[in-house]
Amino acid sequence: MRAIKLTVLMLAAVVLASGLGFGEKITFWHYWDGANLQALQSLIKQYEEAHPGITIEAVFVPGAELLTKLQTAIISGKTPTIAIADLIAMPTLVRSGALIPLDEYIEQTDIDMNDFFEGPLAYGSYEGRFYSLPVSASNLGLFWNKNLFKAAGLDPERPPRTWEELVEFGRIIKEKTGKWGYELYTAGGEGTTWQWQVFLWSAGGEFLSEDLSAPAFNSEAGVRALQFWVDLIHTYQISPLAPWGLFGRGEAAMVMDGSWMTQFFPMQVNFELGAAPFPYPADGEPATNMGGEQIFIFKGDPDLQQVAWDFITWFTGTEIQVQWDRLTGFMPIRRSVAQDPAYIAWVKNARPLLLPFVESMQYARPRPPVPEYPRISDIVANYIQEALYGRMTPADALDKAAAEVAQLLR
Amino acid sequence: MVLGVNLRWKALHERGACRPPLRRGLQEFPVAFWFLLPAILVLGTFNFYPAFYSLWLSFFEWDGFSPQRTFIGVENYTSLLKTGEFWNSVRVTLIYAGGVTVAALLIGLGVAVLLNRQITGRSFYRTLYFLPVITPTVAAGVVWKYLFDPTQGVVNRLLALIGVSGPAWLNDPSWALLSIVIVGTWKRVGFNMVVYLAALQGVPRMYYEAAALDGANAWDVFRRITVPLLTPTTLFLIITSLIEAFQVFDLVYVMTGGGPLRSTDVVGYYLYRHAFRYHQLGYASAIAYFMFLLIFVITLLQFQLGRGGGAVES
Repeated sequence: MRAIKLTVLMLAAVVLASGLGFGEKITFWHYWDGANLQALQSLIKQYEEAHPGITIEAVFVPGAELLTKLQTAIISGKTPTIAIADLIAMPTLVRSGALIPLDEYIEQTDIDMNDFFEGPLAYGSYEGRFYSLPVSASNLGLFWNKNLFKAAGLDPERPPRTWEELVEFGRIIKEKTGKWGYELYTAGGEGTTWQWQVFLWSAGGEFLSEDLSAPAFNSEAGVRALQFWVDLIHTYQISPLAPWGLFGRGEAAMVMDGSWMTQFFPMQVNFELGAAPFPYPADGEPATNMGGEQIFIFKGDPDLQQVAWDFITWFTGTEIQVQWDRLTGFMPIRRSVAQDPAYIAWVKNARPLLLPFVESMQYARPRPPVPEYPRISDIVANYIQEALYGRMTPADALDKAAAEVAQLLR
Repeated sequence: MVLGVNLRWKALHERGACRPPLRRGLQEFPVAFWFLLPAILVLGTFNFYPAFYSLWLSFFEWDGFSPQRTFIGVENYTSLLKTGEFWNSVRVTLIYAGGVTVAALLIGLGVAVLLNRQITGRSFYRTLYFLPVITPTVAAGVVWKYLFDPTQGVVNRLLALIGVSGPAWLNDPSWALLSIVIVGTWKRVGFNMVVYLAALQGVPRMYYEAAALDGANAWDVFRRITVPLLTPTTLFLIITSLIEAFQVFDLVYVMTGGGPLRSTDVVGYYLYRHAFRYHQLGYASAIAYFMFLLIFVITLLQFQLGRGGGAVES
């Protein structure tokens, strides 16, 4: 009897010791919901099975609250082990001093950083060091309504490739069907700015100077891009100054929208849908804008940081990223994923609308990774509106915006 | 000692002080304290502490993330007063607050007078007019946004039926603020109506009977009896309405995001942008304190004016 008791006690002690010894738990704050959440959970399960004793506790925080929660956590010193955040939040988070630089880990793990697309990588680097790695990406492209193209006598399988064709097709559609040719996002804020950046870049312009210390959008290319928007509304009259959502209702034939819409548009619209890389000027270059999330580690217990790093290298590795992108529809963050035969085959068969977005990923540009970006974006959007509402000339509007932005970056 | 206490007693009574003597007050203090403690804790944590913390923050430059806060004195306030965008917000807020206050006051009074009479379905109508008050602002904002849609919206479709081509409402810089004022008014009328209804019950019938004997018509009765006797109520409604309207944020957040062209960029939204999107907590706190001063001054002014108005009652 006593022997049994002793055995039980010993067993309990062993279980307890092992629990304390190599049972490590890291917490992971994120805002992925729906299918993305399911994908994350299945990947975490896969990781935990392959790494016994390690627990990844994923905590869902609604997207609108994540930054505020991280802010509170940083101030009170109760940060999770790792977290993700939107690209735009990264400059602020990196400067908070709460994240650890990843360079040493990157060196000892021998990760090929050149395999990552440059766009997303820009957000993690600050003063020559890396503080975060990309985990997901999205970008912008052209969607078109094949039914309206047919009704206007256009080839429904042939999207516009240049700005000139965009105008030409748009005018034919307006004339033949009475519907709008192309829907612009004119409601202001980041929605307006990040669409306009695509036009700016493809006209050969830059948003900020290379060292991110001054505005660069008030250039010849900038004026050309903004004049093009003004012309779409006032000269060609194929785009309205109206609330967003016309394309989804079949009231406009073309629109710029994100790769994530390849999943949502088919459920929402009652017409045949096409997707293509976004048109650029005949003498310009292809370009697109980019969204996505970064993953990073907070300062804390070095042992946990090592565990967290192992998880991050696993998560951002090619093999898992292929699974992740197939489950979520996110854009590849690595060239090796974009070129992976299994991934390409899946896109072609299961999500053909996604193909042009995957191909555009190489042209995806980052918005400038500066903490002042949200404010800069609002200023630029406001002056874009000034031009669209005909209150200023494009050149005037951009110069005024540049003056305000310059003051901010000084 | 005893004499001293007695003298103090006497002095208190001679001054006509009717409050309990100090000693009894002190004896009751521990009991009162324990009863008040929960409220003190809750209010202190969620109202007073943040309010004073915010005042303190308004003298710093801080992004809310970085461990380092820079003391910059009153620079947040001076740069605030030099910013055109801020004055635009003040102007927009004043127009909104003035518009909603006046419109909701007039409509609320009209509806109250109408619903104070013996008509069938009176309770039903009263409930109907009060419904917007208890509708969550965000939900109301979302629905009104759809109603105001230039092409698909109910408002413009109805206008089209009578041959009027409606404006772009929220999408037109010269109509957007008016649209928000309409929704703000719609949400406020019911509250004004209920308060006026209660006040109307308090108007003695004999005034009306006397007026009827003198052969006064309905308009005269309304103008010379009802309105003057409602003055204290009106003053109360103006103050509460202005205070509420100055703090408007949710309607703008949901319906326009401050646009187009900052035509609906009320101070509340301007503050939100700086605090939560640009992470300028010091500057945002300075905005909050400026707004506090503005509301405080206006309320003081109204109390001054109100003293003159109250005389009508007697």
